[in-house]
Amino acid sequence: MNNKPASVLWAAFLAALTCFVGCDSKPAAPSSSDSTAPVKAAPAKPRVALIMKSLANEFFKTMADGAEAHQKEHAADFDLIVNGIKNETDLGAQVDLVEQMIAQQVDAIVIAPADSKALVPALKRAKEAGVLVVNIDNKLDTDILNQAGLDVPFVGPDNREGAKKVGDALAATLKKGDKVAIIEGVTTAFNGQQRRMGFEDAMKAAGMRIVATQSGQWEMDKANNIAAAMLSEHPDLKAILCANDSMALGAVAAVQSSNRAGKVAVVGFDNISAVQPMLKDGRMLATADQYGGKLAVFGIEAALQILKGEAAPEDKTTAVDLVTKESLAGKE
Amino acid sequence: MKHVRKLFAEYAALVGIWIGLLILFGLLSEHFFTSRTLATLANRIPPLTLIAIGMTFVLIVGGIDLSVGSTLGLCGALTGLALVDWNWPLPLAILLAVLVGVALGTGIGGVSAGLGIPSFIVSLGVLEIARGLAYIATDSQTKYIGEAVEGLAKPLPGIRVSPAFITAVLAVVAGQVLLTRTVFGRRILAVGGNETAARLSGVSVRLHKTAVFTICGMLTGLAAVFYTSRLGSSDPNAGVGLELSAIAAVVIGGTSLMGGRGSVVNSFLGVLIIATLDAGLAQVGASEPLKRVITGAVIVIAVAVDAWRKSRSNKAS
Repeated sequence: MNNKPASVLWAAFLAALTCFVGCDSKPAAPSSSDSTAPVKAAPAKPRVALIMKSLANEFFKTMADGAEAHQKEHAADFDLIVNGIKNETDLGAQVDLVEQMIAQQVDAIVIAPADSKALVPALKRAKEAGVLVVNIDNKLDTDILNQAGLDVPFVGPDNREGAKKVGDALAATLKKGDKVAIIEGVTTAFNGQQRRMGFEDAMKAAGMRIVATQSGQWEMDKANNIAAAMLSEHPDLKAILCANDSMALGAVAAVQSSNRAGKVAVVGFDNISAVQPMLKDGRMLATADQYGGKLAVFGIEAALQILKGEAAPEDKTTAVDLVTKESLAGKE
Repeated sequence: MKHVRKLFAEYAALVGIWIGLLILFGLLSEHFFTSRTLATLANRIPPLTLIAIGMTFVLIVGGIDLSVGSTLGLCGALTGLALVDWNWPLPLAILLAVLVGVALGTGIGGVSAGLGIPSFIVSLGVLEIARGLAYIATDSQTKYIGEAVEGLAKPLPGIRVSPAFITAVLAVVAGQVLLTRTVFGRRILAVGGNETAARLSGVSVRLHKTAVFTICGMLTGLAAVFYTSRLGSSDPNAGVGLELSAIAAVVIGGTSLMGGRGSVVNSFLGVLIIATLDAGLAQVGASEPLKRVITGAVIVIAVAVDAWRKSRSNKAS
C-alpha cells in the first residue's frame, strides 16, 4: 500500500534521469509533451524574449511594463516573455536566462545586459542556435563582440550625450572652479561608463573641479552612504552627479540629513517617477529622460522588423532629453 | 530489496517534489519538457552543486560557511588573471583557483576550530576579505576570457551535458561515498552529533572540523572555474548571495543546521529543486515578486514534507 505511489515516483525519476543522460530532440515524457508537440510545429507568430536587469529597479520595471502593454496592444503580432534578475550584478542568473530562452526556442532575444562583456559568450550561443539578438539599454563592448566574431544591433540612447546635457544644465547654475562629485553606476557596465564620461565632459568644459568619483553600484542605499561620506569629506561640495535616479534619491537623502539642502545640487539620470516631486521642489536639479518605458518597445519593434526582413540589423540611436523643473512645468 | 526500500524512503520525498515541479512546468510551458531545457538545467547547476556538497559537510559538523560566494568571486577573478594576464595554461589556472579555495577554507576552519570561534563569524569576515580581494584582483572590471575557458561549460556533442556537469555528478557520488562509507565520514557525523562523545572516543575534533572547511574551500575553487567558464569571463561580482542558495539547497536536502545529520545526494536533489524552480519560473515568464514568493514557499514546503516523512518513518520503524 505504502509502496505503490513510491514506485511510481521511482519510475518517473528513472525516466527523467534517462532524459538527462541523452535523449535527443524528442520530448522526454510522453505524458505531457506528445500532445503539445504538434502545436509547436504550426507556424506561429514570433516569440520574443525580453531579458532585463533588476526588475526591483523602477527604471527596468517601467521598461518591462511598457513592453507588456505594447504586446497587449499588438497581441496578434507577437508573443512576449519578460524576465529579469534579482540584483544588477548577478551575471550568472542573466546567462541562465539567456540559455533558458534558447532552450525555449524563442525567435528573438531583446536584452539589457547586466555586463557589457560577460554576456557576450551566452549571446553568441543564442545566435548560433538561430536566435536573433537585439541589444538595448547597455551597449555590449565592441572589442569583445569583434573578438567573439559576433554582430549584435544596438537600439538605444547615447548615454554620454544624455549625461552631458544633464551636466551642462548643472554647470549653468555653478561657478567656475566649484567642487563637484560623481557617483557612477556599476563600473563594469558600458552605460555607466558612458554617463560618467558625459558628466566629466560637461564638468571639464565648464571648468568645475571633480573632487571624487565613486561607484554606488546603481543602488540607492550604497549611493546614500557614499554621498554622505563625500559630503563630510568635502564641506564645500557644490553638486553631486549621479549616474541614475535611484542613486540620486540616495544622494538627496544624504544631502538632507547633513543639513545642506539647497547648498548641494543633485542631478540624476533616467527620470523615474520618484524623482519628479524632487525636481519640482528643487531637491534635485535635473535628470535625463531616455524614455525608459519605450526602450524595450524600440528594441522589440526593431527585432520584429529584422525578423520580417523589413530592416537591416544595424544600430539605432533613440532620443535622450533633459528634464528639469521648467520642462516638467511646461508639460502640465 | 530491503536496502532498496530504505534508499527510497530516504530520497522519495525530494525526488517526488522535483518530478512534481518538472511535470508542473511541463504543463505550463509547451517548451519546458524537452531534452534541451533539461540539458540547459543540467549545465547551469555545477557551481551550486559543488558548493552545496562542501556546505553539506560543513553543516554536518555544526558549522556554517558564509564565505563561499565571495571565495567563488575571488577564485574566478584569479582564474581570469591567470589565463589572460599571465597566459597560464588552463590546468594551472584551475589549480590556482582550487588552491586559493583550499587556503581560505582551511583558514576559516583552522581559526574557528583552533580558537573556538563560531565559524559564522570567521566566514563572515572572510566573505568581506575575499570580495575585497576579488575587486582588487580585477580592478573592479569584468574580464573577458573567451575560448580559453569556455570548453568546460560547453555541452559535449551527443550527450548534451558539459564536462562541468559530469564533474559535479562525480563529486556528488564521491562526496556521498566519503560521508557514508569511510572512517572520515563516520567521524565527522560523530563530531557533529555529539562533540564531547567524539572527543572522548579519541576523534580529533579540531582536525575534522578544519578538514570539512578545507573540502568546502576546494570545491568552491573548482566551482569558481566552472562559473567563470560558463560566463566566458571573470566577474568580480560573481557569487553574491550564493551562500544562501547553497544553504537553502542543503537544508531542503534534510541536512540539519545543528549538525550530525546529512546527505550529499539529498543536497544535490535540493540543488535540482531550486534550479528547476528558477528555470521553470523564468520559462513561463513569472514576475519577479511572484518568483520570490514561490521560491520561498517551495523551500519551506520541501523542508516540511521531508520532516513529516522522517517523523512518520521513525514512528513506523
